[in-house]
Amino acid sequence: MTTPSTAPARPRRRAPADLPFRFADRGLAETLAAERDEPDWLRAERIEAWTAFEALPIESNQLYTPYVDLRAADLLETRPYVTDAPAGLGEDLADLDLPDGVRVETFGQWYERDPEGFRRALEGGATLPADDKLAMLARGFWSHGRHVEVAAGVAVHDAIRLRWLSAAPDRALVSRTVIELGAGASASVVEEEVPGGPPIACAEGERVPQGLFHGTTEVVLGEGASLALASIQDHGPDQVVFQHRHARIGEAATLHWALAQLGGRLVRSRVDNRLEGDRSSVEQVEIVFGAEEQLFDLTSYTRHVGRDTTGNLLSKGVLLDRSRSFMKGLITIERSAVGTDSFLGEFGMNLSKSARAVAIPSLEIDQPDCRRAAHSSSVGPIDPTQLFYLESRGIAPDEARKFIVLGFLEPVVAAVPLEDARDRLRELLDAKWAAGLPSVASAA
Amino acid sequence: MTTPTTRELVADRREQYAFHDDIVYLRETGRGLTRETVEEISRFKEEPEWMLQMRLRAYEHFVKRPMPVWTDGLDKIDFDKIVYYRKPSEREEKSWDDVPEQIKATFERLGIPEAERKFLAGVGAQYDSEVVYHSVREELSKLGVVFMGTDQGLKEYPELFKQHFGTVVPAEDNKFSALNTAVWSGGSFVYVPKGVEVPLPLQAYFRINGENTGQFERTLIVVDEGAKVHYIEGCTAPIYATDSLHAAVVEVVALPGSKVRYTTIQNWSNDVYNLVTKRAHAYERSTVEWVDANTGSRKTVKFPSIYLRGEGARAEVISVAVAGAGQHQDTGAKAIHLAPNTTSRIVSKSVSKDGGRATYRGHLKVSPGSTGVVASVRCDALMLDDQSRSDTYPYIDIQEDDTTMTHEATVGKISADQIFYLMSRGLTENEAQNLVIQGFLEVFTKELPMEYAIEFNRLVKLEMEGSLG
Repeated sequence: MTTPSTAPARPRRRAPADLPFRFADRGLAETLAAERDEPDWLRAERIEAWTAFEALPIESNQLYTPYVDLRAADLLETRPYVTDAPAGLGEDLADLDLPDGVRVETFGQWYERDPEGFRRALEGGATLPADDKLAMLARGFWSHGRHVEVAAGVAVHDAIRLRWLSAAPDRALVSRTVIELGAGASASVVEEEVPGGPPIACAEGERVPQGLFHGTTEVVLGEGASLALASIQDHGPDQVVFQHRHARIGEAATLHWALAQLGGRLVRSRVDNRLEGDRSSVEQVEIVFGAEEQLFDLTSYTRHVGRDTTGNLLSKGVLLDRSRSFMKGLITIERSAVGTDSFLGEFGMNLSKSARAVAIPSLEIDQPDCRRAAHSSSVGPIDPTQLFYLESRGIAPDEARKFIVLGFLEPVVAAVPLEDARDRLRELLDAKWAAGLPSVASAA
Repeated sequence: MTTPTTRELVADRREQYAFHDDIVYLRETGRGLTRETVEEISRFKEEPEWMLQMRLRAYEHFVKRPMPVWTDGLDKIDFDKIVYYRKPSEREEKSWDDVPEQIKATFERLGIPEAERKFLAGVGAQYDSEVVYHSVREELSKLGVVFMGTDQGLKEYPELFKQHFGTVVPAEDNKFSALNTAVWSGGSFVYVPKGVEVPLPLQAYFRINGENTGQFERTLIVVDEGAKVHYIEGCTAPIYATDSLHAAVVEVVALPGSKVRYTTIQNWSNDVYNLVTKRAHAYERSTVEWVDANTGSRKTVKFPSIYLRGEGARAEVISVAVAGAGQHQDTGAKAIHLAPNTTSRIVSKSVSKDGGRATYRGHLKVSPGSTGVVASVRCDALMLDDQSRSDTYPYIDIQEDDTTMTHEATVGKISADQIFYLMSRGLTENEAQNLVIQGFLEVFTKELPMEYAIEFNRLVKLEMEGSLG
């Protein structure tokens, strides 16, 4: 006997590592090249990247495959931007007052001005990790790009501001940013990733379709160059965020990252620091402030290649509600990297019983002749002795908790080179704390 | 001052301590693994039906399960070349005098008889795949302590055995636990009754003999409420040119209020793949300690684990690894907190040299509901030259809001200052290096009974400079 089935066929449940979008195919690579009238080499470059994208797994590092979860992303109907853009994108490039030797331009302007330089920088994808599927997505399917160039010997005193906007609902913005500093140049950049407008209102029971923001920051530092780069990511709650930051650091060059992750429904980010030149150094501080259902999936690779290089990496996370963070960090000291000093710290504060903090601070070392190769991590609640101290000084318990938590995140705030951006970050953290306060109070 | 290269310091003379007796095997399966091999082993052992079925299910899982890819080199194992069961003597011997002379001779070289005469509480010495010699001191029998071969345990304590076997490490846990469950043979079965404190360590010596003999021992230790026991295993193996496989499973059940310590000194020869699943379930207020040293084998993959299932349970793991030429020690520890107010402490020390690779891999997990957890992990690695490699992969997964967890790891070399200082006090460079390494590993050695501490220091010295005695 058979009974006719009345239940509608349920869609197949997605596995954690299943790709949440399907727009990236050969047809799109062709369309981007054709509609934008791109040269043959760029079309070939897009096809090559697409081929690599197809071949790669979502997580190529076997160490981290259990910690991939893209199920929160729902982008199957998402359409990418090809020749259009989110409203308001590019306004930050208007009325720039830049000193001599400094350029801030779109990829289109770059290509017009210096087609050969543009080709040298992009062809072959040397400024993105070749083993990463989502990096290959950016390489093959970018529609918007920014180029910052500081000529050799030029010191820029005022920070350069770049602003990226969230994609509209059901749209995907795939972008790249290339930052090049010549020998002895120095600059600071503030990168803001913000919603394009006020939150979208929605009727009861309805849901705003997600958008995808996919961006890169590709840094090349010449001999003795120095770059401070701060990023404040504050996308809306319906945005899926993929980020790639990749730095090639030349001899005696220094790079200082200050990264704040606040927004997005799902954030998957990867930072690659390649300390190629002798005596090069990188300092990286990253904070995560998660609430509600947010998932922050952050990986950081630091590869010591040159002699006497220095890496100092610090990640801090505060998690409210049911938010999660996966902090994966790998320091690799190659055999050539004699005299390395490398430290990786991952510290978490779970402020909710439903929050989850994963830390995987790893080391792979082929050269023992180092000044330091260490990592350290901890997870703990708000320290009751600190709380007691502050309360004993007459500070209300809620206020004291806020001081401790925001103090925990302060190292990144202090490293933001623009005063108004710094103030804005403090306000964002304050607001997020205030919004999450009821859940913290009930847990305490 | 110039630091000598390790190559000058170290000459590998382990061959002279190798031994290999020609033994006529009374019963062995052919090479390779099929369903029939599994049935043959079970039939030969006259096992109950449930065990046969469990073995067969495990075999199916083993065949289906892909080889792990997160560690490398396992694809070199040729499962078709391995003999899965080999019985060195027909029956379990009751007294030392009954043990066949040839086997006795091998044990003589290992120093077991002396040790036994001196202080052993009981000996289960494994020669290839079966327990051939076994004695339990009378007082232990009087206390009701069971210490026997695992095959014998299945026959004599069927209820207790069935209740616990495969509950801590299910066959499906990983490819090699499936393999072990399918073809297991030998190992120890220990039961300590309620409230009994075993006054002396229980010791079992394990030996592999025979080229391409897989050894799949299975150990099950059940420690009843409030009881206390220390179990020690030490391994040596003769050296062969082709690869041997050792895939053991150890299950420990620590019932409420009990205390278990399990000490291992692993010194397989450098052609052995040592892929071991060791796990304990720790119930309310119990304490489980794994004290684990790995100096031998070509490749060891072993992460002694403790599942803290009862409130107030405590876990401690001390793991030591020495990786020399051609070796990869992929070791570490896991502490899985599943209950409130549980604590764990993991200490790992590794030394790599002459192109060896030492990997620490750890997992620390605090599940939702496990409030008040305190956990710490400390791993230090020493690299003696730049041909070697050291990796640290700790996985920390916290799903509670009041966990206190700290983790520290460092990697480095012996400082020239230390060597210089010791040489200025009259030590040779060789001696100075040894002293530093012994000091580095002391956190482990100080946990050993004296005889083992001596043996271990000799082993390390042998590894480091090939100048034993």
